[in-house]
Amino acid sequence: MNPIESSDELVTRYHRQALRKLLVLVVSVVGVIVVVGLFSVSVYDSVSIMEAYGIIWDHIMGVQHAPRSTEWWADRFIWNTVMPRVVAAIVAGASLAAAGALMQSLMNNPLADPYSTGISSGACFGAIMALVLGLTINSLSGQSGMVVNAFLGSLIPVAIVILISKRMPVSPASLILVGTALSYFFSSMVTYMMVITDADTLQNAYIWQVGTLDTVTWESIPLMFGVTVVGSAFVMFLSRQLNILSLGDANAKTLGLDVEKFRIVCLLVMAVMTASIVCFTGTIGFLGLVAPHLVRLLIGSDNRFVIPIAMAMGAFILVLADYIAMSVSDVPVGVVMSIIGSPIFFALILWQKKGYGTVY
Amino acid sequence: MSIIDEFIDRYHRLSRRRLMFAVLFFVVAAVSVIMSLGFGTYHISLTEALNTFIDHISGGVVDRKDDLYVWDIRLPRAIGAAFIGAGLAMGGVVMQNLMQNPLAEPYTMGVSSGAFLGAVLSMMLGFSVVPALSGDMAVVCNAFLFSLIPVAIITLVSRFKKLSPTAIILLGIAIMYVFSSITQYLMVTAEAETLASAYHWRVGSLSKVTWENLPFLVVFVTVISVILYTFHRKLDAMYSGDRCAQTLGVNPSLLRGVCLVLVSLMTAAVVSFTGTIGFIGLVGPHIARMFVGSSNKLLMPSAVAFGAAFLILADTVAKVSGVNGLPVGVISSMVGGPLFLYILIKKNRKVWM
Repeated sequence: MNPIESSDELVTRYHRQALRKLLVLVVSVVGVIVVVGLFSVSVYDSVSIMEAYGIIWDHIMGVQHAPRSTEWWADRFIWNTVMPRVVAAIVAGASLAAAGALMQSLMNNPLADPYSTGISSGACFGAIMALVLGLTINSLSGQSGMVVNAFLGSLIPVAIVILISKRMPVSPASLILVGTALSYFFSSMVTYMMVITDADTLQNAYIWQVGTLDTVTWESIPLMFGVTVVGSAFVMFLSRQLNILSLGDANAKTLGLDVEKFRIVCLLVMAVMTASIVCFTGTIGFLGLVAPHLVRLLIGSDNRFVIPIAMAMGAFILVLADYIAMSVSDVPVGVVMSIIGSPIFFALILWQKKGYGTVY
Repeated sequence: MSIIDEFIDRYHRLSRRRLMFAVLFFVVAAVSVIMSLGFGTYHISLTEALNTFIDHISGGVVDRKDDLYVWDIRLPRAIGAAFIGAGLAMGGVVMQNLMQNPLAEPYTMGVSSGAFLGAVLSMMLGFSVVPALSGDMAVVCNAFLFSLIPVAIITLVSRFKKLSPTAIILLGIAIMYVFSSITQYLMVTAEAETLASAYHWRVGSLSKVTWENLPFLVVFVTVISVILYTFHRKLDAMYSGDRCAQTLGVNPSLLRGVCLVLVSLMTAAVVSFTGTIGFIGLVGPHIARMFVGSSNKLLMPSAVAFGAAFLILADTVAKVSGVNGLPVGVISSMVGGPLFLYILIKKNRKVWM
């Protein structure tokens, strides 16, 4: 970088970076909207893409169509099959990306993701206990039993971390290591259950673990949506503190942040956010780890921007991947995401420019 | 006594204690190899097993059946467990130093996902890299070759571009995701039975270690561990960051490149025979570090001994629990997870940096 720069250059550079942020955000949001249209048309192909938008808009506005008209049928199809899936994908994508960004800042570690404290293995433990052993909390059966089990299971590791946090240093390294120990413990139980069960149950359990949006219905949305809105508002509210934290614990303390308490509170919020998603969809990987990195590579690592833009980007990636997964049929959404996303991620790491986001 | 003398005295006491722990780890490892001869599904008492062992060495086999179990099944398995545990722990120490990251482990570069993809391709599609092979050998060979792909890609890329540790980790993750997503696709679309056998492969077992394939394993782990040990001072320097290392006369990118290849080769050799046994490579070094400190001169041998002892003991439990019992990977995590947690809280001090 040239040390002597005129103020004009600085101003143009600043404008260019601001524009870049805006551009990434707009592309993500527009991307989501386009995919929603394509998705609707692929399910009910006797309407055009613009008509599909019209129908969705009408439904939101509360317009009633004449029974058994084209619009009426289109409305039923789109609203009952496409929309729950799409809304779930948007909410899940945004939530996992925000949780990922939060964890990476919280732990000061590029390898951290929402599952780092053992949430995913806890959730698997709960869900697979329901599936393999038929053990559920308050004896719910079938799908809802699994959901409740997974939700509670995913909170166990974090609860343990919080309980023992008084008796150990709450540094990023030790938190991560405790989380890793817990997740090894729970996944060993999962593995054990998977090994003792018969091949068919193992298959079901494996598919749950890989993650899918197939099973999401309108009933799942309120919890996901509510938790995500509250959680991500909270995270955005704390983005300045997260920026301070990235200077390291000692500096953050000097600047007046109660690092230990802050970390525990954030961990709890992140856990509830992730749990509310994972219990419905299974453990969809890749997104929580990679979406924040993608955004940082594109716009730099100021959390005030990273978090909202990562949410938009996460929603876009998950919706798009789910659309592709559904059109190709039978491919799990996580697989689509990794196969398309990883090469892009790879290229971005290689061609990152100095000045914009170097990853940490 | 002056304050300085007191400090020196305290330092010596600390070093002595650390050395003692290192020796202790080795003793435990040696004892557990011998102990493990007496445990398994075939009933034979420990003393009888030891007698059989001594008889075989002195040339007079008394009971053919006892000899078969003790000498041909249990001994290679115990030695294999020792070397696998040792190799994984060594790989973990080196990776954590190289990447300056407490979460790094031998599998961070994507070795395990590569191996698993190779194995699954062979099991499900009958694809073999070396066409002449089939069956179990094809699985092993595929796993070995595929597990080296990630490190090959990263080495190739680093010829054109200087990579920071973070960039290497992230590239490793990107490759890992591609591999594991292909594996997941194959697994999800496979028949339930095939999926089950692939899953069992991944969970890992030491039952496939025999006298025939043991030399391969031993040579790989020993040679590479010795080479890595000669780098112990340079790795100490790496621990404190690339810039510090440079000031101390180490070429960080070169050292990193060389060590990555070595660790990957060693891990590939281990994984292709046993499946991906987790936990030891990540947590073994941390547990050893809590007892002997982070100077690699002592840490490397201690971690090696700890890894060996731990895997043998875990495998002993696995053997006792029977054919359909607990897999060794499950036991090591089930016992090791809480153990690690306990030590972490009990010691209540920084384990990293």
